[in-house]
Amino acid sequence: MKNQYLILFMTLMLAFMNKNANAQEVQSTDEIQKLKQEIELLKNESDTYRPGKSKFLLRGYAHSGLQITDEEFSFVGGSFNPLFIYKQSDRLLFESEWALEQSGGEIELEIEYANMSYLLSKNLTFRAGKILVPFGIFVPNLHPAWINKIPTAPLGAGHDGIIPSNDIGLELRGGSYLGNIKVNYSIYVVNGSQLNDGEEEPEEAGILHHAIFPDNNKGKTFGSRFGFFPFSDSSLEFGLSGMYGKVGAKDTDKEDVTALHYAFDISYIKTLSSISSVLDIKAQYSAVNVDDANYPSHENPEELITFDNNSTTWFAQVSLRPALVENSFVRRLEFAGRYSTLKTPEGAEWETDQSQVDLGINYWIDWRTVFKVSYQISNSNIEEAGGHGGAEGNAFLIHWAIGF
Amino acid sequence: MKKIPIIIFLFTLLSLIAIISSCRSTSTIVEAKTGAQLWGENCLRCHNTPSPESFSDAEWDVAVMHMRVRANLTEPEAVKIADFLKTAN
Repeated sequence: MKNQYLILFMTLMLAFMNKNANAQEVQSTDEIQKLKQEIELLKNESDTYRPGKSKFLLRGYAHSGLQITDEEFSFVGGSFNPLFIYKQSDRLLFESEWALEQSGGEIELEIEYANMSYLLSKNLTFRAGKILVPFGIFVPNLHPAWINKIPTAPLGAGHDGIIPSNDIGLELRGGSYLGNIKVNYSIYVVNGSQLNDGEEEPEEAGILHHAIFPDNNKGKTFGSRFGFFPFSDSSLEFGLSGMYGKVGAKDTDKEDVTALHYAFDISYIKTLSSISSVLDIKAQYSAVNVDDANYPSHENPEELITFDNNSTTWFAQVSLRPALVENSFVRRLEFAGRYSTLKTPEGAEWETDQSQVDLGINYWIDWRTVFKVSYQISNSNIEEAGGHGGAEGNAFLIHWAIGF
Repeated sequence: MKKIPIIIFLFTLLSLIAIISSCRSTSTIVEAKTGAQLWGENCLRCHNTPSPESFSDAEWDVAVMHMRVRANLTEPEAVKIADFLKTAN
């Protein structure tokens, strides 16, 4: 009898536990269902933010600064350069950089470049539109204010320099490997530079003007740059650039005048563990040879003058950043120095022979934001320098630049 | 006279490009390198190495494609760098 009660009690307990377990199972199933619904809702919501194949990115940079010379103590406007990048597909890219600068109370807007790139293969890209001319390393690679180690461009570069900056045309470019040696290459056809014949501005007779549209003749300028990296860590690069084409205006006596630009560049980046620093060396030699031609004299426009229209410019730049030291203030510092020269034709109204030394200290707030303090010493062997830019005298410069 | 060496130079260069373009876009050295190594070596040639957290994965897709064209990176290099930036993001 006692056993019967025990069995009955256990049966009731089992029945109760089973019911309870069923109830928990039902509850768990409901919760899982609810979670599934929530996941589905979140998935649907995240799908609305999922980018398609076409993607847009706004980047760019801005800079301004303070300039102190014997004659002025002025904040200088610098510029704001938005960069629009639109990736249409895995092969097609459009990009355009604008430069907005305030000058003389007015806003100047220039399109630095605007071009379409199509990736033809793993190592070859076709570009069409307004491009940064792949001539040397400063203009195509180093000119943005957040990259340039010194507040100013080296002599001969920049918008008034003898080095071409941008132009409209077509380009094939890419990188590849010859064994274990990396190479890069670019070949292009553009409108080319235009010769100032001196008819309206005799003081600028013989100067080449870059990035003027439309072209002044039917001849196109062909150019190329070839770079190679002898070391497997890509620390050293040698580059050779050249461009050649007609620069004289059509239907004038200078129609057949041509210009040859060429440049050699070198870049060396090395992390020096022994001094916990990164060493960065850049140098470029550029030359421009224009065919001889007769130009009206500045003093007497009836009289014709001629000169060897050859110009040269070069710069060498060294910077050292103790990026690997423990002290967080010191590792944000960078010490930079640059020497540049510019020599334009003897006998030309715009003859100049200048040199410039820039010594500076930079402080990096982050990888793309920098304060630059530098002292610039400029010398000119010609009393009146002009035509292709470059400051005379010394200047103290404080600049700040942000890349975004 | 000046045109002749230039034409020869351009022709040689064109031929060279054609030859190089048919070469491999990578090497055993690149295959052995990590995305982080390629990121350090290639970016530092012109500017400081970007922090991976600066952009989202989708933004890195665009930024790396932009730099592939600008810095003449090969496809395998660009893919490895993009993968590293996204993984470390």
